[in-house]
Order: sequence, then structure tokens, then C-alpha cells
Amino acid sequence: MENQVEEKLGKQMADKRKMGIFSTLLSVVIAFAIVLMLFYGLNHLIMGMQGLPLNMDLTPAG
Amino acid sequence: MKILFKTLGFSLGLTLVFSLLTYLLPQMKGEAPVDVKVDLGSLTMDDFVALGEDLFKNKGTCTLCHKPPPLGRAPDIQGEDMVALSAERLADERYQGEAKDAAGYILESMLDPNKYVVATWGKKGSNDSESPMPVVDKAPIELSSMEMDAITAWLQAKDGNEVTVALPTAEEAAEVAAAPAGESAATSAPAATADEAMAKYACLTCHAMDSNDTLVGPGLVDVGERLTADEIRQSILDPNAVMVEGFPPAMPADFGTKMTVNELQMIVDFLAEKKG
Amino acid sequence: MMHGKFIKLFPLPLLLMLLFLGISTALQAAEPGVSNVADRIAPVGRIQLAGEPPLEAESEVAAAEEAVEPMAAPRPMRSNYPDIGVSSRAIVWVLAQLHLFFGALVLAVPLFVLIIELVGLFTGDERYDDMAHEFMKISLTGFSITAIFGGSLTLALFLLYPDFMAYMMHVFGAQLLVYAGLFFFETFFLYTYYYGWNAFRYGNKKWVHLSLGLMLNASGLTIMVLANSWATFMMAPSGVNEVGAVVGNIWEVMKGPLWNPINLHRFIANIAFGGAVVGAYAAFKFLSTNDPEKRAHYDWMGYTSNFIAILAFLPLPFAGYWLMAEIYAYSQQMGITAMGGILAWLFILQAVLIGTILLAGNFYLWAGMSRTDGSERYKWLVKFIALVLVVTFLIWITPHTLMLSASEISLLGGTHHSILGPLGIMPAKNIAVNLMLIVTFLSFQLYRRSDKVATVSWAPAGNALMVAIYVVAIANIIFLGVYYGYFTNTVYKVGSSVAQVVSTLVVIISGIIIDTLMFKNAKILPSHWGRIPDRAQYALFALPIAFTWLMGLMGYVRSSVKTHWHVYTVMKDNSPDNFIPAIAYAGNMITLVTVLFLLCLLFMFWVANLSETRQVKPVTAGKGA
Repeated sequence: MENQVEEKLGKQMADKRKMGIFSTLLSVVIAFAIVLMLFYGLNHLIMGMQGLPLNMDLTPAG
Repeated sequence: MKILFKTLGFSLGLTLVFSLLTYLLPQMKGEAPVDVKVDLGSLTMDDFVALGEDLFKNKGTCTLCHKPPPLGRAPDIQGEDMVALSAERLADERYQGEAKDAAGYILESMLDPNKYVVATWGKKGSNDSESPMPVVDKAPIELSSMEMDAITAWLQAKDGNEVTVALPTAEEAAEVAAAPAGESAATSAPAATADEAMAKYACLTCHAMDSNDTLVGPGLVDVGERLTADEIRQSILDPNAVMVEGFPPAMPADFGTKMTVNELQMIVDFLAEKKG
Repeated sequence: MMHGKFIKLFPLPLLLMLLFLGISTALQAAEPGVSNVADRIAPVGRIQLAGEPPLEAESEVAAAEEAVEPMAAPRPMRSNYPDIGVSSRAIVWVLAQLHLFFGALVLAVPLFVLIIELVGLFTGDERYDDMAHEFMKISLTGFSITAIFGGSLTLALFLLYPDFMAYMMHVFGAQLLVYAGLFFFETFFLYTYYYGWNAFRYGNKKWVHLSLGLMLNASGLTIMVLANSWATFMMAPSGVNEVGAVVGNIWEVMKGPLWNPINLHRFIANIAFGGAVVGAYAAFKFLSTNDPEKRAHYDWMGYTSNFIAILAFLPLPFAGYWLMAEIYAYSQQMGITAMGGILAWLFILQAVLIGTILLAGNFYLWAGMSRTDGSERYKWLVKFIALVLVVTFLIWITPHTLMLSASEISLLGGTHHSILGPLGIMPAKNIAVNLMLIVTFLSFQLYRRSDKVATVSWAPAGNALMVAIYVVAIANIIFLGVYYGYFTNTVYKVGSSVAQVVSTLVVIISGIIIDTLMFKNAKILPSHWGRIPDRAQYALFALPIAFTWLMGLMGYVRSSVKTHWHVYTVMKDNSPDNFIPAIAYAGNMITLVTVLFLLCLLFMFWVANLSETRQVKPVTAGKGA
């Protein structure tokens, strides 16, 4: 039973290695960039909806 | 069975921990406002100012919002000279009220807070045109005009300014008290004599005035001997507090809100003189 | 042996002590010392001239004028309240709270039972169906207990607060008949749903059965929202004028500003509470058997209950936030009475209780990871989650302002501690609460992942996205709290807390979506139900105890924000109990109702088990079972 698990886990690790360190790094960077932009927009949206506009650098506008 | 005791013990122990925690916190009661008696005969301006401060901090619940920054949700009127500020605000073009002096402005701001909203303290989205402050003579605060005067006096006095509000007079009190009877029951004008008053409230239906015979309530021919004027007053205002033995609680308990000051006083005086 | 004896001896004195504590509190005279009725007669708190009758405020003058035609709210005097020697409030308090506990339970159980039944139908796994049936079985007596306490509560209210009840009857009128009528519906659907379980089990008949369950829930929920309208009417009356005379129709009376926030809050909380209670049942059954098959079954049942409780618990703070925001919008004064006045201290207790719930829930999930072999991958994260939970919990319970003596104030240089002070105010607490919720969701997500290996090709990218969402959301929540909370004005501070809440929700929702997609057709690693340490089961007892106590506490706050009003701004409370009691008194009362609830619950479970037990026929006289 446990061997099976290790086998599966090992296979997953091997898959990861196959992708290469570069593409892994790339996907992490892209993911962070997307999520950062998402939350940046979200802050503007949520504060704006409450009548509290923000400047581009997130300081209160008005 | 052992499991039952173990789990029950665990559960009860946790409950005990929660209830013990409540003992660690400050034990404060939220008292409902209690009646305060003001004796006009000995009321000085200092007393009146002190009364105003007490009202501001307790019954008026003003300090819930009017706190020093950064805790406050309203201007810090305890820390600011309101008389000086009033002059500025009266001159402000955003001011919409009719007050001419500081006392008038302070009173107006309690009765209609929207007349002048201090910048940045307005309701969210109203652009400082609407105040979040409740009107203090309405429920749930319900200050009387005398009480609002006392607060005004304190707000003037606390920064060393001259107090311009006058002490309450007996006439004023009587006027205020007479108002409900006069307005709500147009048909029953305030009585002018004790006899009229007793007729108006139908005392004679249950009480004999010329003998000690029992009708529904006890006869009152010698009530002035049995009770002092204060006891008579209490018996009228809260008839069920002290009962003559053997009588049912049949007397209306709402005379305190129906009678005018004068009517009550006339009846009390009249009865206190009845000594058989 | 000694150990066993101690365990047997321990709970009984404790039970007696707690009951004694609570009952002696309840039996205290309402307010010792004030025996003179005239000292505190109506109208409450008016300043009056000595020797003169009470003055009338002008608003009441105007109000009295309007009130000539429709009936105004009565203004009972102190003497109009029947005095039975013990505090009337204490009696109503206990009955109302017990009614509410059982009401919450029997509303919640059919709800998730129906959902579990649906899951069983769609997965074709009969274990779900049996578990749903078992949940119904153990809560069945609860319906009668709810009705008994509801009846006693009504009786007590009419006896002890006649003027108030007369007014409420007048305001709500025919709605009460609808309410009573709904009980017949609920009873009908309850019994057909429960007893029809095996009769309508397969095929089209199953849909008949599910419809019965739906109708049971519909009538139950309608009952709840009707009853909620009475509580919210008392807090924020609508459809009546200044003196309480009815001016609107029944819909306008019900549709007060707090009605929907309370409906939502109670609805969600009931589910969490119901899940926690049935979880304790499963934990008890798990501990009392050594049969591996039964242990597996009850482990799974306990896990499901905990799942329901925690999942329903996560959105609860947001519903509470909405409720509190509506209270502030309705009356800033009422809001501050709750959050900044004398009731503010209770929120420290609330933090302790919620902390207990989150820690217990998390602990159970971590312990449950031992069921699967794949959980080794995630175990290293547990200690970080635990650390975050403890730190945020400590920030949360840091008091805002401390009650200090004059010398202590000068020592600290103000009423706010220079280091603890900034941690005591709302932005810090908002950060703490949101982080607690996020890491609890993380525990939850790790647990769900622990028996699966993703097979989709984009799994590494999905994981990178998930990690990014966690990291950025946590950073965003801290940024929003620190920057807008301490360096901008109040309006932005309050506004930023909404953005924090949305960030937390983004994590939860995206976590659910990503995992659902990523673990489609995932390889399932073997799970071993029943392979969990015994001590983990105690988390399932901590949950309902903390939930029950928490409901008692927050119910006390909800009712107390009205201060000395039966119906806020409309009908004054002139009874001897019109003050907000001190916290320790309230604590004793809450403990009393919690212990009584526990005892009733034991009875309910015992009855449920009775139906399974069959006495062995005595073979010869004197040798019976």
C-alpha cells in the first residue's frame, strides 16, 4: 500500500522535474503577477463602490 | 459509562472555564436612568451646571460618540470651547439655523442636528449635509427642555464662559407639565380650584370627602391627620405603593401623567387640610 | 483504577456546582436593595422638580395627540409587572434560550439532512442516505422539546410581562395565527419525512420523499423568519409611529431594518450549531465502541458533522458584520452601546469562544489527516497554521481600552498602552479575524487534498496560482488593515475592512473552484476511517459547548442593546430588571442554560438510542437483563 503511494508521489515529482526549473519559476511568477493585479483591481473596485476612490498608488483620493 | 463521565466532565469543565472568564472582566451594570429630584428652592447655578455634566455623560448618552479623538464618532465637544466654536459656526455660510447666540446654537444643535453639520462628521455619502446625531428630545433619549438647558449651561461653564441660560422656574415647570393635559384633551381645560380638579378626575366616585365611610376606596374626611402632604402626593402618583389594608388596587395609577402640577398641588393642599 | 474512579467522581459534583451557580443566580431577587417601588417609577429617568409630578417631554405631548385613534404602546408602571419573588427576566431568559437552542437544532438538522440525502442520491452511495436518516433519528425528540419550551416561554411571558405581550399581540395580530398554522404543516412533514424514509427510498418515490423534506424545511424556515420579526421589531420597530401605534400593515411591521440581517445570521449559525451538536453524538458513539466497523462509521459521521459546522461557520463573521453595520445604520447609539459601551467587554469573551471553535475545528482536521497516507505531504504546514492561529487569537483578545486606576493611567501615559493600544483597535482585530479564517480554510483545503493526487496536466500551474492567491491575499489584508487603519481617516478605515472581507472570500471561493477543477478524476489514495486518535474526538465536544455558550452570550448582547426598552424608542421597560446585568451574572445565566441544554441533549440522544435497544427476554425469573 505505502509503496503504491510513494510510487505515485515519486511520479508526480518526476513530472515536475520534467517541466524544468525554468518553466516552474515562470508559472509561479505569472501566477503572482496575475493575482497581484487581481487584488489591486479589487481594492479599487471595493473602495470605489463605497464612494471612497483611490489614487493609482492606493492612497485615498479626494 | 466511563466514556459518558469522561466526555461529560470535559464538556462541563469547558463550560466552567467560560463562566470563570466572565469574572475576570469588569463588572459593570447598565442601569436604566433613575429619577433625579431637583429641589428648586435650593438649586444654584453650580448645581445646574453639575446636573448638565451628569446628563451629558449619563442619561444623554452624549459621550458614546462625543469622545476625544481617535475614539470619537462625533466632534470632541468636551475638549473644545463650544462658545467660541458657536460664534465661528454661526458665521459659517453652511449654517442653516436661526440661532443668534451660543446658547441658542447649542440648543438648536440638540433639537435639529442637521442645521449645521461639522465638516467630515456628516452621514456617509451625504456630503456633510446630514448629521448622524439623534434628536435628543425624542426617544430613546427623551431629554426635557430643562435638561437640555442644564447641558447648555455646562457646555458654557466648562470653559469658563458666562452661563446665559436661566435657572428653571416653578412657572416654567408648571407650564411644561400642564401642556399634555391642555393639548391632548381639549375638552378638559386645567381645573382652577381643588373642587374642580377633584370633579375632573372623579375622585368622589370612590372616596367620601365628608365622612370616613368606605365607598370603593377609604373615606378622606380626616386624611390630613393620617398622612403628610408628601404621603398624600405619593398615594395619588403611585397608589399601589402603600395601600390601606383591605382595599383592592382599584385606583388608577396614571394620575401622575394626567394631572397638571397645579391640579395635583391643589388636591394635595386641599386633602392635607382635611383633619376631620 | 484510581484514575477511573476520579473520572467517575469528577463530573457529578461539577454538574451540581454549575447548576447551583446558575440557579442561585436566576433565583436572586431582581435587584436587591431597591425595595421602594416609588424610587423608580415611570417615566424612566426623568429629572423632576422635588414635590412636583413628573414632567412630560414635549415629544410625548405631540405623540399623545396622534395616539388618540390607534392604540399606542402601553406605558406600564413598575407596579404593573407581576412580582413573583424571583427575577422575571431570569425565568424568561432561561426558557427563551432553551427554546432557541432546540429551535436552532431542529431547524438546522433537516436542512443538512436534505442536502446529505441529495448527495446520496447523486452519488448512489447508500451510506449517505443511512447517515441522513440517523441524523433525523437523533434529533426527532428535539422537535417536541422545542415545542415544550416554546409553550412554557409563551406562558411565562404572558404571566410576567402582560402589558408587553398585549402590545405585541396587538401589533402582530393575525400573523400569530399563521405562525400557529405553520406548526401543523411542520409536524405533518416532519413525521412523514422521518417515518417515510424507508417506504419512499428508491426511484420516483425518492423524489416524493425529497419533496417532503423540502416542505419540512420550508415550513421550518418560515417559522424562524416569523419569530425573528418579533425580535427585530423589539430592536428596531417599523410600521409603527413614535408612540408605537400601528400605522403600517403587517408586512411593514415585519420588514424592519434588522430583519434580514438577523434572518441570514441565524440561518447560517443554526447550521453550524446543528452540525456541531450531531458531531458530539458521533464522537460519543465513536468513543464508546471498539468495533472497527462502527468506529469507521461514527468517525465518518463525526467528520461530516465537523465539516458542516466549520463550513457554515466560516461565512458567519461576515453575516455578523452585516448585522452590526445595519444596527449602526439604524441607530449609531445602539451600535455603540453594543461595541463601545459596557457591552464591549463581551466581545473579548466572544473572541475567546470563536478562538476555541477555530482551534478545535483545526485540531480535529489535523488529527484527521492521520486517516490518509497522502497527508504526509502537507503535515509540515500544520505548525505554521497553528502559529498564525495563536498569534492572531492573542491580537484579537487584546482589549481596546483597559479599566485602569489613576496611577496606572499615568504610568502608561494614557488609557491606551503604547504597544498593546494599537493592537486593541479594530484594524488589528480585523486583520486577525481574516487571517484566522484564511488559515482555517487552509487546514480545510489541505485535509480535503490529503487523500488525492491531481492528474490534470495543469496541476503545477494550479498550485502556483493557489499559493499566489494565499500569499497575496494575506499581504493585502495586512496592507489594508495597517495602511488605511492607522494612516488614513476613519471613513477609509471602515471601508477597507470591507475590502479585507472580500479578500478572504476570494481565497475561499477560488480555493473551492480550483480544487474542484484540479481534483476532477484525481487518484484517490486509501482512507482509513476510524484511524484517528481518541483525543481528537474531544474537539467535537468542545465545538458544541463553545457554540452553545457563544449563542447564549450573543443572544444576551442582542437583547441588551435595547437597554431600558421593551420595544426600542416605543415602549419603555419599567420592570425591576430594566438594567443591563453585570457580566458575571450573565455568565452564570449562560452557563445555566448551557448545562440545562446539555442535559436535555443527553435525554434526546438517550431516547434515540432506546429505539435500537431490545431487552433480552428473561429466561427464568430473577435472571433478567
